[in-house]
Amino acid sequence: MELSSLWDLVIIGILRGGMYALMAMGLALVFGVMNICQFAHGEFYMIGAYMAVFALKVFGLNPFLAILLAMVGGFVVGVLIERGIFYPLRRRSQEEWVMNTFLLTVGLSFVLQNLALLIGKARYRGVPTYWKGTIRISPTMGVSVDRVIGFLIAIVTIGIFGLFLRRTQMGRAIRAVSQDERGAMLVGIDLDKIHTLTFGLSTMLTGIAGASLLPITQAYPAMGAGPLVASWFVVILVGLGNVGGSIIGGFVVGMLQTFSYYFLGAGWQDTVSLSILILILLFKPSGIFGTEVKGILER
Amino acid sequence: MQKAERIPTIALKTHLLARLESLGLSPLALTLLAILAIAPLLIKDEYILHLMVVSLFFGAQAMAFDFTVGFINVVNFGFAAFVGLGGYTSALLAVKLGCSPWIGLIAGAVAAGMLGFLTGILTLRLRGIFAAVMAWFVGLALMALTAAMVDLTRGMLGLHVPLFLDTTARRPYFYILLPMAIGTYVALRTVTNSHIGLAFRAIGQNLGAARASGVDPTRYKVINWTLSCAFAGLLGVFYAHFIGILTPDVMHTKHTVEVLALSYIGGRGSLWGGLLAAFLVIPIFEYLKPLMEIRLIIYGLLLILTMIFYPGGLAGLFQRIGELIGRQREKPEPAQ
Repeated sequence: MELSSLWDLVIIGILRGGMYALMAMGLALVFGVMNICQFAHGEFYMIGAYMAVFALKVFGLNPFLAILLAMVGGFVVGVLIERGIFYPLRRRSQEEWVMNTFLLTVGLSFVLQNLALLIGKARYRGVPTYWKGTIRISPTMGVSVDRVIGFLIAIVTIGIFGLFLRRTQMGRAIRAVSQDERGAMLVGIDLDKIHTLTFGLSTMLTGIAGASLLPITQAYPAMGAGPLVASWFVVILVGLGNVGGSIIGGFVVGMLQTFSYYFLGAGWQDTVSLSILILILLFKPSGIFGTEVKGILER
Repeated sequence: MQKAERIPTIALKTHLLARLESLGLSPLALTLLAILAIAPLLIKDEYILHLMVVSLFFGAQAMAFDFTVGFINVVNFGFAAFVGLGGYTSALLAVKLGCSPWIGLIAGAVAAGMLGFLTGILTLRLRGIFAAVMAWFVGLALMALTAAMVDLTRGMLGLHVPLFLDTTARRPYFYILLPMAIGTYVALRTVTNSHIGLAFRAIGQNLGAARASGVDPTRYKVINWTLSCAFAGLLGVFYAHFIGILTPDVMHTKHTVEVLALSYIGGRGSLWGGLLAAFLVIPIFEYLKPLMEIRLIIYGLLLILTMIFYPGGLAGLFQRIGELIGRQREKPEPAQ
């Protein structure tokens, strides 16, 4: 294999990894703060994509505004769902919370997917390109501008979100809740508000991912499955609830998938990734960057 | 003389009833089972018979699923993949080596059980949610592999599998599945009633306390997981030789979700709840088929609502009714 094509693979892996990082960050956040294992994460990716299609086709907005709309839409839908489903459950019973909410999100994913099928029908919707043109990155390969801008959007979002978590009052409150819920409550943080906000933010991040990748993966009801698996993979790899680690993990998984796809082809790709994951968990059950976040081994 | 003879018969009868009860077959359950067993003889409509077989198949799956989720409180999120593995094992044996499906039943169960054992010892020492997600990954990988190994499994084209019998009439298949389903129930019930079952329950309810009383959680969890997977494989074999064509789609997560919803609607930890739910939900949904997606949305909402508002499910409902009747009976006594 030539060195240049190896280089191409690295670039593809990085571009792919940016989006995984964005999505996995939301997943990690929701687990860290709310102890929810989000299984409907892919459906918010789908909602983001549909929002963008809607904005482009109906309002004829430009791509940046479409992505912005998907971002706002993702946030709103997330907030509504948190208030409508998780809030009542939290009120009723905290027993077996992790397992119950996991199954709840399974049901949610089922509902959202079929709702999309009902409204959008089983059709691929999308746009050929947001921005025309390709950028030549090496003599053998060019990358479309869409991919590069999508990647930049991911990086910028991750950056802004990181600043938000570190520098603002609200971001600090979110981190406080993820570290110690009772302590956070004692210093006067409104837990319900933070939970709702966190869920909304996580679905917002996913919505952005879905919308900015629209030229590459068109919108259809079951489109969330792939990104869902990938972001879960990242989160398990770096340790559940580790937000910072999931950024690096996103790139690692992006690379891993690109390389195993190139060398082994589809099908074996999943098996290889799975075997690596099992090996890691055998030796380090808390993930590669795992600190003991809320107990990985049995309680 | 006559009296002396009657006493042993009564004793024998109570003894027998107690034995049956310990197998989870109360008089009510036996009656219902008898109705279930006789009904297909009276029904002529092939379509209804088909529905009955499908309901029974899903009900049996829900029982095997509930064995894990209801007792050790771990969700086997790759359940459908174990069902599919059982089916494919037997189907490949039949297609490539000409094995009889009846041998396939054992082979399929053993194959699924072995994979279950391996996944179990690797993941069950971790927290429940990890085991669930890992089982999901195993399921996804298995599905991808099945689709990729076109030479062996014909991938997405689908593998044609010889049927159990030469007929496609549904009634005989019902009577093949019925003993399997009852056998599954009795076997699982026997385990849960034994001291092993006590350990399962202890692990599911309070891990710390279970550990403190000398129960090795990982060991019992692996036993439970392996058994559940083996039964999943067994049922998968039936499916393969009943439908006659296998595609990697049988391993899809959506089938796991279907089984999961049934066992939750039926009531976790009851075993029989899932069977009841299957016979209620599947025909109703078949009837609602013209509604298309709305039907599936209702399905999902049903799962969500059960989880939030009625975690006990159908079994919980029945228990409530039973308690109410019990109270009604007790009421007159203080008045006397």
